Amino acid sequence: MTELNPAVSTAQKSQALLSWVGLFARLALGGVLFAAGAIKIPYPYKAAAAMRAYELLPNNLASFFGYILPWFEVGLGLLLILGVATRLSGLIGALLMLLFIGAIASAWARGLSIDCGCFGGGGEIDPSQTRYLEEIIRDIGLALCGFYLYLRPHSRFALDNRGK
Amino acid sequence: MASKNRGPQRGGRDNQPDPITRWIVIGMVALVVVIGAIFTVVSNRSAENVALPPGASKDDGYGIVFNADKTPTINIWEDFQCPSCKRFEDINGGRISELITQGKAKVVFNTLSFLGPESVLAGMGGGCAADQGKFVEYKKFLYQNQQQEGSGTWTKQYVISMAAAMGLDENKFATCLNTEKYKKWLTNVSAAGGAANINGTPTYVINGEVIESDDQGVNYYTAEGFNAQLARFGIN
Repeated sequence: MTELNPAVSTAQKSQALLSWVGLFARLALGGVLFAAGAIKIPYPYKAAAAMRAYELLPNNLASFFGYILPWFEVGLGLLLILGVATRLSGLIGALLMLLFIGAIASAWARGLSIDCGCFGGGGEIDPSQTRYLEEIIRDIGLALCGFYLYLRPHSRFALDNRGK
Repeated sequence: MASKNRGPQRGGRDNQPDPITRWIVIGMVALVVVIGAIFTVVSNRSAENVALPPGASKDDGYGIVFNADKTPTINIWEDFQCPSCKRFEDINGGRISELITQGKAKVVFNTLSFLGPESVLAGMGGGCAADQGKFVEYKKFLYQNQQQEGSGTWTKQYVISMAAAMGLDENKFATCLNTEKYKKWLTNVSAAGGAANINGTPTYVINGEVIESDDQGVNYYTAEGFNAQLARFGIN
C-alpha cells in the first residue's frame, strides 16, 4: 500500500493537469469558432459570397450554407466555451475544421486565389495575398483541440462537471 | 454556476446529478442558432410584389436600367461604401454617363448593400433618388462624399442632407428614406447578386461576361484599361 500512494498522487496530478489542457482546448476552439461566427453574422452577403467563391457547391446551396454557418459556429463556440456536451462539441468542431481544411486545400489545389473568409472577408483576392498554408496550419491546430476534447472531454470550469 | 466546480470529481454534497442545467444551456444555444439561421435565410430571400424604383427591372437583377433597348449590356454591381467602387467612379464614372447619354450601351446599376447598415441606407437612398430621376447624379455625389467604410457617418439624417445638397427635393427624399420604401428592393438586388455569383464589388459584367481587373493585364481602374474592355464589345 505504501508503494501505491505516490502512484495515485501522480495520477491525480496528471489528471489535474490534463483538465487544464482540456480547458485550453475548449477556449481555443470555442473562442475561435465563436469569434469567427460573430464577426460574420452582421454581413450575411459577404459570408455567402465567401462560400460561393470556393466553387465547391451549387450557387444557391453555397449561399444557404454561407447564411447559416456563422450561426452554427457561434452555437458550437458557446457550447465549447461553457463546457457543455464537450465530447460531442469537440468532435463536431474537429470535423468542421477538417471540412474547412479540405475546402481550403481544394481551393489551393485548383489554383483559385481566394481569402478563406474564415473571419469575414473572403472572395477573390490577389494571388500574392493568399495565405492557404497558414489557414490550414491554424485549422489543423484547432482540429487537434477538438479531437483531444473528444478523447478526453474532462476539463476545468466546465458546466459538464456539474452533477457527476 | 461554475463556483461548485472543483476539477476532477471527488464526490461530495455539491456534486449531485444536475443534467437540467446542461440541457437548458444546450436548448437555449440550439434555439438561438436555429432562429438566427432561419431569420438570416428568410430575410435575404427575394420577394415578389416589392416596390421597385423607376427603371428597376427584375430581369436585370433588379438593377436600375438605362437604355433598355441598346446593346451591349453593362451590369455594374457596386456598393456605395466600397472604396474600389469609388476609385472606378472617379476614373470612369464620366465615361459611363457618356455611354448612357450617347446611347452606346444598356447600362444597369445593381446596388448591393453588403458592407453594413450605411450601405443599406445609401442604397435605399439610391431608389429614392431614382424616384426623382436622379439616380446617377446621386450615386456620383455619394462617391464624392464617401466616408471610411463603416465609420457610422452615413446616418439617415446625413444621407438626407446629402440628397438635399445635390438638389433633390428634401421632403420627398426624407419621406422615402424614413419609410424605408426601397429596403426590400435592395434585398432583391442582393438575392439576384447571389444568384449571379457576384462575390465582390465592384463587379462589371458586359454581355454576361465578368470583367476581372488585374487579371491577364486587365486594369479597369484606368481610362485606357476600361476603354480597352469596352472596345472588345464594340464600344468606341
